[in-house]
Amino acid sequence: MNLNEKVYDISEVGSIEPEGDREIVLQIGPAHPGSGHMRIKAWMDGDIITKVDADIGFVHRTSEWLSERRQFIKAIPIVERIMLPDTVHANLAYVLALEKILDVEPPPRAQYLRSLAAEINRITSHLYGIGLFGIFLGSSTVYMWAFGDREPFIDLMEMLTGARITNSYIVPGGVRWEMPKGFKEKAESTLQYMENRFNDYNDMWVKNPVVEARTVNVGVVDRNRAIKLGVVGPNLRASGVDYDTRKASPYAAYKDIDFEVPRMDHGDTYDRLLIRIEEIKQSIRIIRQILKDIPEGKIIADSIYSQLNPVMKKVFEQQQRVMFPAFFNQMRPASAESIARVEAGRGEIFFYLRTSGDKYPYRFRWVTPSFRNLAYFTDVAVGYKLADLPAIYGSIDYFPPEADR
Amino acid sequence: MSDKGKRKLRGNIEGNARALATGFKYLVEPNRMTLDYPVESMKLAPNYRGFFTVDDKKCIGCSMCEMVCPPEAITMIPRVISTTGYTLPVQQGATQEAGAKPAKKTKRPVVNWGRCIYCYFCFDICPVDAFVSSNIHDLAFYNDADYRPSYEEYLKLPEDPVKKSKKVIPKPDIKRGIKYEPAP
Repeated sequence: MNLNEKVYDISEVGSIEPEGDREIVLQIGPAHPGSGHMRIKAWMDGDIITKVDADIGFVHRTSEWLSERRQFIKAIPIVERIMLPDTVHANLAYVLALEKILDVEPPPRAQYLRSLAAEINRITSHLYGIGLFGIFLGSSTVYMWAFGDREPFIDLMEMLTGARITNSYIVPGGVRWEMPKGFKEKAESTLQYMENRFNDYNDMWVKNPVVEARTVNVGVVDRNRAIKLGVVGPNLRASGVDYDTRKASPYAAYKDIDFEVPRMDHGDTYDRLLIRIEEIKQSIRIIRQILKDIPEGKIIADSIYSQLNPVMKKVFEQQQRVMFPAFFNQMRPASAESIARVEAGRGEIFFYLRTSGDKYPYRFRWVTPSFRNLAYFTDVAVGYKLADLPAIYGSIDYFPPEADR
Repeated sequence: MSDKGKRKLRGNIEGNARALATGFKYLVEPNRMTLDYPVESMKLAPNYRGFFTVDDKKCIGCSMCEMVCPPEAITMIPRVISTTGYTLPVQQGATQEAGAKPAKKTKRPVVNWGRCIYCYFCFDICPVDAFVSSNIHDLAFYNDADYRPSYEEYLKLPEDPVKKSKKVIPKPDIKRGIKYEPAP
């Protein structure tokens, strides 16, 4: 691999002047028909794309600024709202970083419940991506199917946490609610339903000649290129790189869970669709293992539980609901810094948290997978036709609010 | 990109036939997951996070919920404890208990529904577990002012807007994903 090769020239950003007589510049967006607001500037030579620039920031929500001016516990709903299809992972990444500073270790049952919620969330996130990919290619059938099939899994999350999307399930020291009665049976029939549905997806969509014609050999990024661009998540694995944060630095219960990291060879748009389906299959396998092997015990660390008052302890025994000790309100961790990495649905979330002994974080920094995959996007469409752009954009599973933060 | 690594497309006839057959299968026997709302509505689990109120007698006015509220939806309003144990507005308490023992000053939370995100952090931080939850979630208000109830209005839970509809329970189903069964 030649590391000196130019990946992306920053001086070209912002210039929208066409170069030469043949070239025109197309502005696609920012009122985007897809997953959110962003603008794609495409330099065209006839029907061929010569350069692409992504103009982002239309849905910037100042999550870092807001979190640095609030108590530590209040950042949980803020980070969730940035990654709406993928809330559990954002929540988990932040709490992992905070737990390292507070020096709290959750008990094994809480670790398993975290992994359980994360995997259910990964399935919903991938179905969301597949659905949007479908509508980008003009197939409203798959759009409706994927969003419909997301519903049983969201229903599972609702049963577990009491909310459909913005669960706020994970807190420092453990999780907030115990697994309710009847959850295992409900989860098992939902998983079986999803496994049966793969046949329909294959016949209707994945092995459909129309889809193959539009996606195979389109938007190819080979292994070295993907590594150099710093791509993360399923997009990286679609290019043949065997990298998954769940294996590379295991968090939650992934140490004890047996699963494979699926990987494709060609790195084209079609592979980026297949990898998501393979990952859903792996998630189903993980959920089955968790439901079988989940250990008994508390769902909150003893150091947190011991700080609860008698009323709160009684509530925990009766309702299996973890209440917050008063120190969650006035957390003042000593000066320290920590990082956390979590494999979210779209790739790796990186969290950096620095405390200064104050009641607010001194620095709150996170990099979301969509932001990293943006580099990929400016590179991958070059040389293909304009008609391939929706397929390429859809396959990357880019979620603008997640990148803008 | 050289042609060496390119993959070949599969045949057209079989794939198209399979897609058409699957489409036809779902044309004849569609799998609808949507609910005929508001004719039918879901009976939600007891742990569903909906509108909530506070138990006036349990609350001790400690302001922990106001401090923990992430969107700053909770405001503490001054009240006085009457002889019956319930709280009264400051003005009213002063007139009723004039000459009697000095009314004990306290505070009570009121939620601005326009700001609340239903994270239930207030439930979990409350040292006396004074909040009361409900399943009601599908409610909007006609006026902006209605989103900010007074304490008396806040104590009464809003009425379920789909009370008269047929209540169903979503059940997972191996064939259909979700099946709605009539609630008992």
